[in-house]
Amino acid sequence: MHSDHTPHIFNKGINLEEITCPNREDRANGINVFYGKASELVQDARAGNLKMRERNFQQSSGCTLNFYLTVRISTIREAALIFHAPVGCSSSALGYRELFRGIPREAGRPDFDLHWLTTGISEKDVVFGAGDKLKYAIEEAQSRYSPKAIFILTSCTSGIIGEDVEGAVNEVQPGIKAKIVPVHCEGIRSRLVQTGYDAFWHGILKYLVRKPQKKQNDMVNVASMLSYTWQDRKEITNLLGRMGLRPNFIPEFATVDQFEQLSEAAVTAPLCPTYTDYLSRGLEQEHGVPFFLYPSPVGFENTDGWLRKIAEYTGKEKEAEKVIEEEHRKWAPHLKAIRNEFENIKGNGEKVEILGALGQGRLLSQLPYFEELGVKSSAALAQDYDNLILGDLERVIEKVGDFNILVNTFQAAEQAHINKLLDPDMTLTCPFQGSSYKRAKGATRVHGLRGDNLKWSQQSGYAGAVAYGNFLLQAFKSSSWQKTMLNKTENEYKDWYFKQPNPLYYLQDEKA
Amino acid sequence: MMVEKTIAEEVLIKVEYPEVQEAPRYSCSLGGAYAAAVGLYGVVPILHSGGGCGIGQLFGQFYAGGENSPGGQGGTSTPCTSLVEHQVIFGAEDRLRQLIKSSIELMKGELYVVISGCVPALTGDDIEAVVKNFKESAPVIYVKTAGFNGNTYTGYEQFFDAVIDQLLVPQKKQKRLINILGVVPFQHVFWKGDLEKLKETFKKIGVEANVIFGEFDGVNNLKKIPAAELNVVLSPWLSHKTAEKLSEKFGTSYITFSSVPVGPKETTKLLQIVAKELKLPGIKVQSVIDAEERIAYRRAEYFGDPLLIGLPHAYTAVVADSSTAIGITRYAANEVGYLPEVVIITDNPPEEYRRDIIRELSDNIECAIKPEVIFESDSHKIRQRLKNRSFLLLLASSLEKHITGDFNHPLHLSVSFPILDRLVIEHSYAGYRGGTVLMEDIISKYVGPL
Repeated sequence: MHSDHTPHIFNKGINLEEITCPNREDRANGINVFYGKASELVQDARAGNLKMRERNFQQSSGCTLNFYLTVRISTIREAALIFHAPVGCSSSALGYRELFRGIPREAGRPDFDLHWLTTGISEKDVVFGAGDKLKYAIEEAQSRYSPKAIFILTSCTSGIIGEDVEGAVNEVQPGIKAKIVPVHCEGIRSRLVQTGYDAFWHGILKYLVRKPQKKQNDMVNVASMLSYTWQDRKEITNLLGRMGLRPNFIPEFATVDQFEQLSEAAVTAPLCPTYTDYLSRGLEQEHGVPFFLYPSPVGFENTDGWLRKIAEYTGKEKEAEKVIEEEHRKWAPHLKAIRNEFENIKGNGEKVEILGALGQGRLLSQLPYFEELGVKSSAALAQDYDNLILGDLERVIEKVGDFNILVNTFQAAEQAHINKLLDPDMTLTCPFQGSSYKRAKGATRVHGLRGDNLKWSQQSGYAGAVAYGNFLLQAFKSSSWQKTMLNKTENEYKDWYFKQPNPLYYLQDEKA
Repeated sequence: MMVEKTIAEEVLIKVEYPEVQEAPRYSCSLGGAYAAAVGLYGVVPILHSGGGCGIGQLFGQFYAGGENSPGGQGGTSTPCTSLVEHQVIFGAEDRLRQLIKSSIELMKGELYVVISGCVPALTGDDIEAVVKNFKESAPVIYVKTAGFNGNTYTGYEQFFDAVIDQLLVPQKKQKRLINILGVVPFQHVFWKGDLEKLKETFKKIGVEANVIFGEFDGVNNLKKIPAAELNVVLSPWLSHKTAEKLSEKFGTSYITFSSVPVGPKETTKLLQIVAKELKLPGIKVQSVIDAEERIAYRRAEYFGDPLLIGLPHAYTAVVADSSTAIGITRYAANEVGYLPEVVIITDNPPEEYRRDIIRELSDNIECAIKPEVIFESDSHKIRQRLKNRSFLLLLASSLEKHITGDFNHPLHLSVSFPILDRLVIEHSYAGYRGGTVLMEDIISKYVGPL
C-alpha cells in the first residue's frame, strides 16, 4: 500500500473535491503499534520503515466513529447530528443532554440545546437500502430542530451496504435550510482513530467553512478537545485576551457560525498538533490562514513559544512579551516550589519517575513540561504515531534525551504489562487502560474533562502548569486506592504474560 | 376544492420511519449480549466486530447504566477482532480464530462468549465453524447479534438463546430452586442491588433464587438453569420467549411478573405467587411476609413528615422501560399516594404485549387518577409528550434531567436507563425496603429544615 512513495513522510495536499480525506495510514504513514526507543522510531520513520502490524490479541480500543468523534460532534451547538447507523453506534452519545451542564451560567456557559438522531439501520435496510430513510431523517432534523447545520456520520454498516450518502444529500439539500455535512467515519475504513478526525475536518472544510467575508485579525482558531476543561478555555481566553486577541474554540461546544468563520482568522494554533493538522492545512490551502503545529500551551516554555508564535502572525509581539513576563512573575515562584517538593520526594537525590502521555500531542508537550517540574519520564504511551509529528518528535528527543515509546491504541493488556515492567513511581491513566491503575505505587488521571469547572483540574498555560504540578504532588500523598485494589481483586490476565518481558508478545511479524 | 387538496396531500404523504429517532434508550443487540456477558462473572466476552463496538458500549451501556466502570473484561479490556476493510473483503474467520486462541491463553475465564456484530453478519463469516474448533480447549459459545437486527433487549434474549442451545444440558430438578429472568445487566440500572435483594428475600421463604448475574460462579449459575423448579420472569414482555424455550427444552414451568417489585405490596404479591407455584407451606410464608411488612412500614413512618409537608400527593410522570415503569408507578401510586399522571414506556415492547402493560398500569393502580400510558422511545417526542401537564415529580432517566426550563419545574430523579447523573452499584429499589430507599432519594431532592 505504501510502496509507491518510499521513503514516505507525509502527503501535504488536501483535495476537497474528494468526498473524504485519505486514511492516516496513507497520508502520514500512521501506525498503531511500536515499542522501543523514540530515536529508533524516528529513524524508522525517516527511512520509510514504519509498518502497520496486526496483533494476535487485540482489545476494543475505538474506531473512527466511536473514539470520541461521536461525543465531539454531538456537542456542536445550533446543529443536529444524524448517525446513519444501526442503533448501537450512537449509544455512546446518550450523555449529550448532560454534557457541559455542570458548568454554572456564572462561569460563562451559554444557553444551549443539543440534538441527535439515529437512522437505526435495520435488517430490512441492509437488504433494500436506507437512502430514503436518511433523507427522511434529514427532513425530520430540519423540521424538529431548525439547525444551522446537519452532520451525517456514517458507520460500518452504511459503508458495507454501499449507501450513497452524497447522492441523498445532494438530492435533499436544496429543500433544507441547514447546511448538510457528511462525515465518512465508517469504522472499518481505518485502524487509526485519527482518520475519523481528519474525515470530520474534511467535511467542515468542504461544506461549512465559508469564503472569508472579512479578515478577523484578532481571531485565533483553536481546536479544543475534551481533555481541555472549561477552566483551560478560560485560561487561554484570558492569555490571548490580554494580547488583544480572542480564541475561536472549535469543534467542541462551538456554534455553527464559529466554523463558518474559520477562514477569517489570523492564525490556526494547536492544542494537539495531529488532531488539528488536517484542518490547519486545509484552512491555509483554501483560505490562506497560516498555522503552526508546535508547541502547545502546556508548561512554561511551551506556553511562551505558543504565545510568541501566535504573536508572529498577529503582530502582537510586544503584547505577548508583556503577558509572558507578567505570567512568569506571577507563577514561576509556584513552579519553583513544586520543583523543590518533587526533588525531595525520594530523599536520595533521584527524580521521581512518571509514566504518562496519551495522544501524540501530549507525547510532544508533556515531556518538556515534566522537565520543568523536575520529574523524569523514561517512557511515554501514545495512542498512535504518524509522521505529522516527526520533526517535532526529533526536537523533543534533542531537548529531553531519548526515551521509550509504546504506541498502543488503548490496548489494556499491553499497558498493564508496561506498567509492571517499568514500574514508575507514578502512572498517569485514563478509563481506557483497564486495570493498569492497580499497583503498589502511584496512579492518577492524565487529565480532567471538558465539563470540569475546577481550577484544580486545569492544565493549560502557566496557571495550568502550576495547577497540574500541584495535582501530581497531591497524587503522591496516597496510593491506598490502587494498592487496595491490587491486593483485593483478581487480575484478569494470566501470570505468564507478566513473567515474560515483552508487552507486545502478541504482535505478528508480518505486515497485515 | 376538498378533493383537490386531498390529491395534493396524497402526493405529499411522507413515509414514516419510526426507527429514525432522537436518542432511543437502548443500544443494539450486540450491546445487550455484551452487557449480559460483562454482567456474568467468569465470562470473557470476545467481540467479533469493528474496533469501536466495545468502547462504544463502554459509554452506551456501562457508563449509561449508572456510571459503572466496566471491570476487567469490559470496555477496552474486551478482546475484539477490530475488523477493517480488507477483512470485509477477504473474510475474518482466521482473525477470529487467532483472537479466541489468544484470549483463552491470556485471559482468565470459565466461559468465553463470542459476540459477533454487523460486519461479520454482512460478510457471512461462519462463526459456528470457527467456535467448534475450540470445543476441546475451553468452553466457548457464540451469539450472533448483528447490531442492525435488534436492540439491547433483543441481544439479552439472544444471549440466553445461545446459552440454552450451546451450553445447557438437562439437570436433575432441584426443589425450591428458581431462576430470575428479565433483568438486563446495566440496562436495568439497579440490576446488582435488585438481584441481591430479591435473592435475600426469596431465601427467607426457603427458596433459592438463581439470579445468574453479578455473582461469582456465574457460569455455574448458567449451568444450573435447567435444574430450577420454576422460572420467574420479572418483565411484562422481556424473556417470555426465553422462559417458553426453557419450558420446552427442560420442562421448567414459569410465571411472569410485570416488574422487579418495589416496596411491600408488590413484593408480597410476588412471594405469594411463587409460593403457590412451589406449593410452599402457607403459614410459614405468611409469617415471613408479616414480619417483613411490619418492619418495612415501621420504617416508612420515618418519611411521613417530609412527605406530607413537602410534596404530598403530587402529580407524577414516569419515563422508563416497561418493567421499571410498572414497579415504580405502582409503588408511587399504591403506597405513598402520588398521582400517576402519565407513564411513558421507552423500551419499545412488541405490540402484542402492550395491552397487558396498559392494564398493569390501570387495573392495578389504587388511585382516582389512572395514568395516560404512552409508548415512545424517541427522546424528542418524549419531551413533547411531557409538555403542558401538571406533574411536579418526574421519575425518569437522566435524559430528562435538563428539560425543567420549559416545564413545570418538576423534581427530577433518574430511575431508568440511561442514568449518567448517579453512580449506581449497591443501590436498590427492590423488595420490601426498596420503596423506602426510593423515598429517601426523592425526598432528599427537596427536603430542608421543617
